Amino acid sequence: MKMPLTFMLNNQQTTLEVDARQTLLEVLRNQGGMTSVHRSCEEGECGACTVLLNEEPVNACLVLAASVQGASVLTSEGLVKNGKPHPLMKAFTDELGIQCGFCTPGMLMNAYALINRAGDNLLTDQVIRKTLEGNLCRCTGYVNIIKSVQTAQKAKLAGEWW
Amino acid sequence: MKKREERLILGKGQYADDLAFFNMAHLVFVGSPHAHARIVSIDTKKALALPGVITVITGKEVAAHTRPLPVQANFTSKGWTWRLADVYAIPADKVRWHGEPVAAVVAEDEETARKAADLVDVAYEILPLAGDLRTALAPGAPKVYDDWEDNKQVHLVFDFGDSEKAFAMADQVLQVTNREGRVTGVPIEPRGCVGMYDTKNDTLEMWGSFQTPFLSRHNIAATLGVPEAKVKINAVDIGGAFGLKIHAWKENVVALASKLTGRAVKWMEPHRDFMATGPHQRDVFWDGTIAFKNDGTLLGLKATVFHDLGVESTNKGIAALSIFPACSSPTNMYKWVGMHVEGIGTVTNKSFYCAYRGYGKDKGIKFIEAAINQVAKKLNMTPEAIRMKNFIQPDEFPYHQINNYVLDSGDYPAVLNKAMEMADLDFYRKRKKELTGQDRYLGIGLVTAIEPAGVAVPNCQMGGITEARVLITPDGSVEVHSDRTEIGQGAEISHATIVADILGMDMAHIHVKRVTSDFIGQGPLSSRGAVYPASAVAKAAKLLRKKVVQCAGSLMKIPADQVVLEKGYIYPANAPEKKISYAQFADKMFFFPGPRGLDPEILKAHDHLLDVTTTWYSPTTPESGSSYTSFCVSADIAVVEVDIDTGVTQIVKYVHVHDAGTIINAQVVDGQIQGGIVQGIGEALYESLNYDENGQLMNTSFSNYLIPTAVEAPDIEIAHLETPSPFSETGSKGMGEAPIIGAKAVILDAIEDALSDFSIRVNDAPATPEKVRKWIRQATEKKPVIS
Repeated sequence: MKMPLTFMLNNQQTTLEVDARQTLLEVLRNQGGMTSVHRSCEEGECGACTVLLNEEPVNACLVLAASVQGASVLTSEGLVKNGKPHPLMKAFTDELGIQCGFCTPGMLMNAYALINRAGDNLLTDQVIRKTLEGNLCRCTGYVNIIKSVQTAQKAKLAGEWW
Repeated sequence: MKKREERLILGKGQYADDLAFFNMAHLVFVGSPHAHARIVSIDTKKALALPGVITVITGKEVAAHTRPLPVQANFTSKGWTWRLADVYAIPADKVRWHGEPVAAVVAEDEETARKAADLVDVAYEILPLAGDLRTALAPGAPKVYDDWEDNKQVHLVFDFGDSEKAFAMADQVLQVTNREGRVTGVPIEPRGCVGMYDTKNDTLEMWGSFQTPFLSRHNIAATLGVPEAKVKINAVDIGGAFGLKIHAWKENVVALASKLTGRAVKWMEPHRDFMATGPHQRDVFWDGTIAFKNDGTLLGLKATVFHDLGVESTNKGIAALSIFPACSSPTNMYKWVGMHVEGIGTVTNKSFYCAYRGYGKDKGIKFIEAAINQVAKKLNMTPEAIRMKNFIQPDEFPYHQINNYVLDSGDYPAVLNKAMEMADLDFYRKRKKELTGQDRYLGIGLVTAIEPAGVAVPNCQMGGITEARVLITPDGSVEVHSDRTEIGQGAEISHATIVADILGMDMAHIHVKRVTSDFIGQGPLSSRGAVYPASAVAKAAKLLRKKVVQCAGSLMKIPADQVVLEKGYIYPANAPEKKISYAQFADKMFFFPGPRGLDPEILKAHDHLLDVTTTWYSPTTPESGSSYTSFCVSADIAVVEVDIDTGVTQIVKYVHVHDAGTIINAQVVDGQIQGGIVQGIGEALYESLNYDENGQLMNTSFSNYLIPTAVEAPDIEIAHLETPSPFSETGSKGMGEAPIIGAKAVILDAIEDALSDFSIRVNDAPATPEKVRKWIRQATEKKPVIS
């Protein structure tokens, strides 16, 4: 069954014609053009499709698209401002928290929510690890990902953030 | 300057799943629910009746339109057992493993294809199973391939040096056994591709997660019966590979589907299929005896390693080929008198075996390191003392090892010393003693390894030679071509660094091109990246530099040795103000190279054409027969704490010292080390593919096939030594596998040390909490612990 779906996608009001059975992952990739939302396990285990739904990280493969009517969805494309990488993205590039790049967009979104939640509290290694537990990475061994998140938080505390 | 990383982080990746072509159809495979069964009939009527379904391809069509999968490695000539099965990408007669494709549905969209796949009705007659190595080798066992005498695919026998002499010289011998569970290296991105057959020109082009486009072209063309010259394979952004994406198997069916339908056809493998029908690795059992003197001198080894290969590899012969390095690598970095090693590979009704980080080198080294630590214990020596006694010394390189490896360079004692210093070994040994009696179990593991890297196995598709092209375009930018696909291992940035350094250019102007099948080479496997393609690219860049210097000298009327190339400019050494940019220079060379500018001799020799294509092949392989060119060195020390009530192992400290020769990019090298170590930890503690008694794979999801998350992964302390390799063009050595080799060995060694009170031999990976508890229970039943 086709239905219209209106929601905020990366801060833009968006209306798409979707199938009621489609997941948010399918809609974001196929209709929304947000190909940074990566498809892997399709069962909420790998975290590659993590996006923010009303500022909370969710696995887009486990969310029915129809349920985001009126909500706000942020993907990593939405972090880019005027073609410039977000300071969080810059941190991942600088610290090489990215290797093959497949888990990265999901990792970014979870880390973005974490850093925003943390406020002025410096994120410890342990907190970052626990938070990113649901985002699997097979390349980096996570060491540089943890560093990237810490570097990004410093950027936020220095006022470079959006 | 991280062009690729910046592009990817902005969401501009172009992975297989992002590929979209005009009028593209979608292909979904139907997998067998049985591990061993005769295909009685396939009814596709219901599937075909579903609106949107274009066609259904079964084994019959595959047999009619394609040839069997081609042979990639064949060593029957040596008098060894080496059997190859005549198999197609989809079988017509019987299925041999759970998940094996029996049909492929092509539809207008993926959802319809998935639905139709459920409607394909296959009748099976279930056959008895050769479900594991023991069953498969038993007399009268059900045969996986009916035309074989039995299920033994390979039996290799190696004699290195003089093992009889070694055992005659020995004061003692010790029997050591070791088992490694079946694992898969699965990256997070599954495999996928688009095939586009041009029926007007009879050409095929494919795009996808191809780790080795040149080999894929050869094998896909051979299967389809199309000349290779009419096929082009393009690698797109690849979401991790680790050896698991060197296939041309299901990809053949995608190509066939495109040919039969005249449409672009896309296939994106569901991740659970990647686990069930992806290449698997390890699953070996070692039984060996090591000979040594009472002073700790190592002498020899007699061992047999049994491999459960699963079915014939889709890269035919390549699974069996991995038994070579498993048998050869136990020599590791020590001096020996002789070894007799046999490798047996058996087919079973499990998914097939192919490459995964390590490819057998890991197995041999892990086994010998465990054996040496047993010898040390027996002799009351420390693990470091026995190694120091047997290491090949820094002044002995190049060292001709008894197995024909030509070890290139290194300082083995220095690497170990550095690791011991960083790990604060004395502190942790003292701490272990302090905790004894407090119901806390601390263990320290220590292993050292070399990584045979940059493979070129004579007489098979992994034969070696690599081609590269570096050219300066008329606008002064640079194109770099090679076989080195970017799979997240830093291929692009490494190539760009090498070329920028040699040409004196800024990395911004170096464009490392996407890899296609146009350039010869087997791609980045067996840590070839920093050996073969990096050497070929460096060699091409050096030849190009020579041309630049010669032409610029002629243009500026100065001797060639007075030409300076720096930061994108070319100038006379004594007159930097006369600098010209590469853009100005290139423009002149391409469009205005007339005799009034350049020496006519340069024009006659075409040396003003700023384009070099060259090849690189190992300088040691032709004469020694050594399959590897460089040998990076590593030492791993891990401190773990085992909770004996839960069986859980916690990693307290992890130190890794590495010598990969000249480092091209330190961040990339560290990233490879960290990633490899965590994969090794996965193998040591969690990862295990488990088949049940019906041959069903029980874990095809990340929820039950457990790879380390950020929580299990430890902090890793790394240090480097840099002993250049004399054999590669840049002095760098292949690396990326040493970390997985060291990690999986050292964690088990550390657990054994932690459980020393129980005298448990930790020789069965993964050491899951359940298994650790079982070992403790068995040990305490025999000998009650005093608490």
